Order: sequence, then C-alpha cells, then structure tokens
Amino acid sequence: MKLDSAQAESPQLLERARRGDQAAFAALIRLHQSSVFSIGLRMLNRRDAAEDLAQDVFLQLYRKLDDIESLEHLGFWLRRVAANLAIDWLRRAAYTRGAPLEEGAEIPAPQTDQDPLMDRELVRLLGELAPAARAVMVLRYQEDRDVAEIAAALDMPVNTVKSHIKRSLTALRGKMIGAELITAEELS
Amino acid sequence: MNEEFENRLRRALRPVDAPAGFAERVMHALPAQQAASNVVPLAIVRKPSAPMSAWRRFSTPAALAASLLVAVFTGQHVAALKAEREQQAGLAASRELMQALRLTSQKLDLAYEAVQRPAPAPTVDEENRS
Repeated sequence: MKLDSAQAESPQLLERARRGDQAAFAALIRLHQSSVFSIGLRMLNRRDAAEDLAQDVFLQLYRKLDDIESLEHLGFWLRRVAANLAIDWLRRAAYTRGAPLEEGAEIPAPQTDQDPLMDRELVRLLGELAPAARAVMVLRYQEDRDVAEIAAALDMPVNTVKSHIKRSLTALRGKMIGAELITAEELS
Repeated sequence: MNEEFENRLRRALRPVDAPAGFAERVMHALPAQQAASNVVPLAIVRKPSAPMSAWRRFSTPAALAASLLVAVFTGQHVAALKAEREQQAGLAASRELMQALRLTSQKLDLAYEAVQRPAPAPTVDEENRS
C-alpha cells in the first residue's frame, strides 16, 4: 500500500486496525514510524535504541487501539508515549546522557541546504540537554508542536515548557558561538 | 536572532526515516503479543467444579438461621418459665398473706367475743373461799 493512499484512508485504517486488521495496523505504523523513530533517535542518540523504543511504542499502541479516539489523538498519543518512554529510559540510565554513537551508527544528517557539520553539532548539543528539556525541544522543533500540546504530552505546566525552550535555546546558541560554528553577528 | 536560530534548529531536527523493514519487524513481534494476550487465564480453562447441590449451598446459612431461631425460642421459653415461676411465687405469697389475715381476723373475733361476753356469776365454792 502506498503511503499517500494510506494517509487518505487513515480514518478507515484506524477503524480496521481496531477490528484486528493487521494490514491496516501495518499501514498505520508506516504512516507514523518516521516521527516516532526520530523522537527516539534525538532523545537517545542511538539508532538501535531508537528502533527499540519505536517498536515498544507501536506494540503499546496495538494493545491500546481501542482507546484511540481519532487520528489527531493517535498522533498525540504516539508523540506522548515516545517522548515519555525516552525520558524514562534516560532516567533509568539505560542510555546515558551523551553516550557515544555506536560504530557505524551515526545519526544521518538531514539533507539540508546548509552546513551539515553545523546540523550535526546542533543535534549533538541537543543530546547534552537534560531529558525533559530535550523532549521539549524535540517536540517543539522536530515535531513542530505548540507549547500547549507539549505541556499536555509531557504533563508539564505551560510556563515550564516555555522556560525549557528559552533556556535551551540560550544554551545551544551559546555553545554554538563558543565552538565558533556561528557568530553572534550572524544571528543578530 | 532567535527566529533565525530556531529555523536552523528546525532544519537540523527534521525527522529521519525509520530503518528499512521497521514496520515488518513490529508486525513480526505482534503474534507473540497476540499469543500472550490469547492465553486464557487458568481460572477460565480449569474444569468447573460440579455445581453445588441446593442442600450444600444453603446448609451453612440454614444452620446459622436454625441456631439463631433455637437461641431465640430458648431465650423466650426460659423467660416465660421464669415469669411463670415468679407469678406462682407471688400467688403463693398472696395466699399465705390471706391465710394469715384470715387467722388474725378469727383470733380477733374470738378475743372480741371474749371481751363482750358477760362475766359468769361466781359459784358457791368461790364465794366461800373468799
């Protein structure tokens, strides 16, 4: 099944998956796997761990399909579970902060029209943030979610989310300037 | 300044593709999940025991109810016996009192009669002696 057609049929996919249609559930995974895997990757900094996490999230989804009310709810549910599971794994020290990437398992830099070295450095610096702050930044800048939704997903007050964003941006920018990857003038 | 940096961050954090075959691997993991969820709890599989007969089912409550009834009736009977005994004792005391009053009354009547009776005339011997 092509992804575009799957996306168009997704209301039916959800209903069919609820009724036990495995092909429909596989199509739902394909629709959301990139988002869930990317949250895991940015949070845990390891591709194998990110895949484990994403698999865990979809297995949980399979058991909770009856609780999913709509496609919007499905997206929110997946982001919420993925981010919180990653925070939990990080806090249990299963995947320590700043853990080195496995050999040959580097996070691929997205294809952008800007300096890939800078992208890689930004991603690396993001991995140095505390788990909750990292989750906030991933949901804000990778998933493009608004502050209210991030607060709901992470069970945080809105002001805490805003504070995480402000402090993390200041820290990241400071480190980028410190590493001479950008200049203060460049950003002004 | 912030906006430019935020856009840079957004570009750096664009979602990446999941590894090839990811969805298939998740689907492969599902049967184990399903198998686990299909395991019928032992309590349901276990052969149900024969239904209890009405007598067995109600014997304990019936015994309790019977004991309670016996206790109540025994209590009432003992209370009734005690009341009857007290009543008998009361009647006996009353009878004795009536008897005593009757005797007292008779004695008083005799005394009254004796007092009211005129004294007999002295006999000759008595006169001579005096």
